[in-house]
Amino acid sequence: MSTTVTPPAVEVTRPPAAKDRPWAAVLALARFEARELLLHVPVFVFLLLYLGYSVYSLVAAERDGMADYPVLQDADRAPQSAPQLVALAVLLCVNHAVLRSRRHGTERHFGVLPVRPWRRTLAHVLSVVPFAAVVAVVVTAEFAWAALKPGAVGHGSVAELAVAPLTVLLAGVVGVLLARLIHSAFAAPLFVVGLYVLLVVISVASDGTSPHWLTWLSPVVPETGGAPLPSALLGRPAAWHALYLAGLTVTLLGAALLVSGRRTRPVAVVTAVALAATAAGVAGQSPGDSRQLTEARTVASVSPEKDQSCALRAGVRYCAFPEWTGRTADWAAVVERVERLAGGHHDRLTVRQRVEARYGLTGDAALVPLAGPGQITVGTEWGGNRVPEFAVGVASVLVAGSEKEASGICDARAVTVMWLALAAQPDPMSAFAHVRLDDGTEGPGAVLAPTEPLAMSAEQTRMVRELLHRPSEDVTSAVRAGWTELTSPETSLTRVAHLLGVRAPEKEENRDDPCAA
Amino acid sequence: MTVTVSASGLTLRYGGTRALDDVSLRLGAGVTGLLGPNGAGKTTLLRVLATAVPADQGSFTVLGHDPGSAAGRQDLRRTLGYLPQNPGFHPDFSAFEFVDYVAILKELTDRTARHREVRRVLDAVDLSEVRGRRMKRLSGGMRQRVALAAALVGDPGFLVLDEPTVGLDPEQRVRFRELIAQAGEGRTVLLSTHQTEDVAMLCHRVVVLAGGQVRFEGTPAELTARAAGRVWSSAERAPGARAGWRTGTGTFRNVGDPPEGADLLEPTLEDGYLLTLGDGEREAVA
Repeated sequence: MSTTVTPPAVEVTRPPAAKDRPWAAVLALARFEARELLLHVPVFVFLLLYLGYSVYSLVAAERDGMADYPVLQDADRAPQSAPQLVALAVLLCVNHAVLRSRRHGTERHFGVLPVRPWRRTLAHVLSVVPFAAVVAVVVTAEFAWAALKPGAVGHGSVAELAVAPLTVLLAGVVGVLLARLIHSAFAAPLFVVGLYVLLVVISVASDGTSPHWLTWLSPVVPETGGAPLPSALLGRPAAWHALYLAGLTVTLLGAALLVSGRRTRPVAVVTAVALAATAAGVAGQSPGDSRQLTEARTVASVSPEKDQSCALRAGVRYCAFPEWTGRTADWAAVVERVERLAGGHHDRLTVRQRVEARYGLTGDAALVPLAGPGQITVGTEWGGNRVPEFAVGVASVLVAGSEKEASGICDARAVTVMWLALAAQPDPMSAFAHVRLDDGTEGPGAVLAPTEPLAMSAEQTRMVRELLHRPSEDVTSAVRAGWTELTSPETSLTRVAHLLGVRAPEKEENRDDPCAA
Repeated sequence: MTVTVSASGLTLRYGGTRALDDVSLRLGAGVTGLLGPNGAGKTTLLRVLATAVPADQGSFTVLGHDPGSAAGRQDLRRTLGYLPQNPGFHPDFSAFEFVDYVAILKELTDRTARHREVRRVLDAVDLSEVRGRRMKRLSGGMRQRVALAAALVGDPGFLVLDEPTVGLDPEQRVRFRELIAQAGEGRTVLLSTHQTEDVAMLCHRVVVLAGGQVRFEGTPAELTARAAGRVWSSAERAPGARAGWRTGTGTFRNVGDPPEGADLLEPTLEDGYLLTLGDGEREAVA
């Protein structure tokens, strides 16, 4: 039965209660959700930890002296790993936020409000943008801090810098999409764990090293561990990877909008284009090192002179890869200080910058000592411990004639080498400790150098320590006067002590195996 | 009456059941009560009018907006305040945040104006003092008032309230009545309820729904008048009465068709409602 009353049929219309500003509503909702996201404990804690760690790493790097000489093609990807925890927290918490209405039964109400579900989905994605922006600002600040250092060399990549913020955005979109697909709070944590397990299984199945194409499917591929390489030898498909991340982010965003009911042609087209971009990114980043790159790395490792330019300073040739030519003045300062202490007893010197690029960016293979007389190796890192290490290399060549001759020095010449290397340092005792593997100034120990380490006995260590406490002018005179004997492998430690004016060892070291002491 | 909401022939089936069966009605400004037993289709009708579900047949307009088109539906939603049955809430939001969130979903985008509006509606439901308190720390009655504030935010022209007084204690119900009466000033309010008292106290019009059909549409007085001469008192429960119960005085109050010479009583809205339902059932059987 239908009952109708017949009142006067006068109908009225009211103006809309709210202005027709759906996009403004999306932005307002995104701001609201961003604030809520920040108040989630995991996001807040990990963001705070990330900011703290970023500041700490800047301070720590300043303290070890390496930060004054950054290599920008490494500095651009150094900040990629730290924001991953922020990304993880964002993924889980934005997923939680999207599921909020369903979990608490407000969907029935919100479903009839003017802001449609797909716009709410978009707002959730946009709520992640401030966090990606914070990461972008931190990454940019870290890189700019490095790039503005007078000692900076090399070239950074915008694509590498984009990786960290893109990772946070991608994580947010994954969280939103998961929530729209699976209405369970367990889906996102299980997804994260499942992804991790999958990567471990694949890694184990492929002998601990994932195939190149698989490695680069990961959002962040830091490739650290080796010494910095010239930009041309990096072989990192950074631009393709950034395209892959950006494409994947937009693809998943499109999927989330489609799932949320926005099944329109523009969204479908954008999603399809983004999918194509993702595929192009994957295709571009997957091939691995090209033959040309492998050859170039071999040339740089075996015949660096083919890639280098040389400059003459005070009779010493300094040969560097193009991006490092500005650093020859720093090297020359060390060489001149050591030469001055040695009194000019040397052949014509050549400082050659070298890298071992054949094992890629993660290989940390040691450089083989050069056989040529007067040839001194310098690496691609500078500052901090690298300075006294280089000084050890210079002093070794001055004393032994060549790196090959100097390799494995553990006879009495080690005392002269170490005094020459350390006496010119601003804080010799501190440099002595830092240049040794054990960070000590007593007992036997290995001393780091650009090529092979130097072995010191306990008595040699004591003698160097005593020499460093004596006036530099006195020791310099003694070194210059006794240069011939001090640089002879036949000279005993007792004789060296006598020549340099320090207490002789109570017992002469084993001449057959002096390193045993 | 100036018609603000007009529905014609609304029909909705859930499987083989007709939840709404050719429902037509017209509403004007003020509070209209929607009475009916459980399963009468009240919530379904409200959900259709709130555009939560589309009707299989029929049409309606709200303040001139026709939800038949996407644009019309969107315009309608901008004029709508909806308080669903058992409204959910976000426990970690404060009362202010929850209403603010709804305000954003109603496209109130200017932050300052929106916050002013949120404060206004929270003040209207007498929750200013606890607006910063988390929802999980509010009593059931307070939460219900927050939900009403959320429905009121943005000053909607059409307010749909689905059993808002369920679960409230008598004091809270009285307070809620006050709020709904205020809300009905100058806007159209459709109030679904089981409580005939609420309708008697609040509504200027009433619609009785049963079996998905409109059984009555008129004023509360007209519904009450349906029971005129059909309520009587007796020492025992009258055998022919539709309903009868012992009152506090010890006599029985009977509703139905009275015998000759019965001691007739003044009818109430509830009597009219009971008779309307009973008449409907009889007509259906016939």
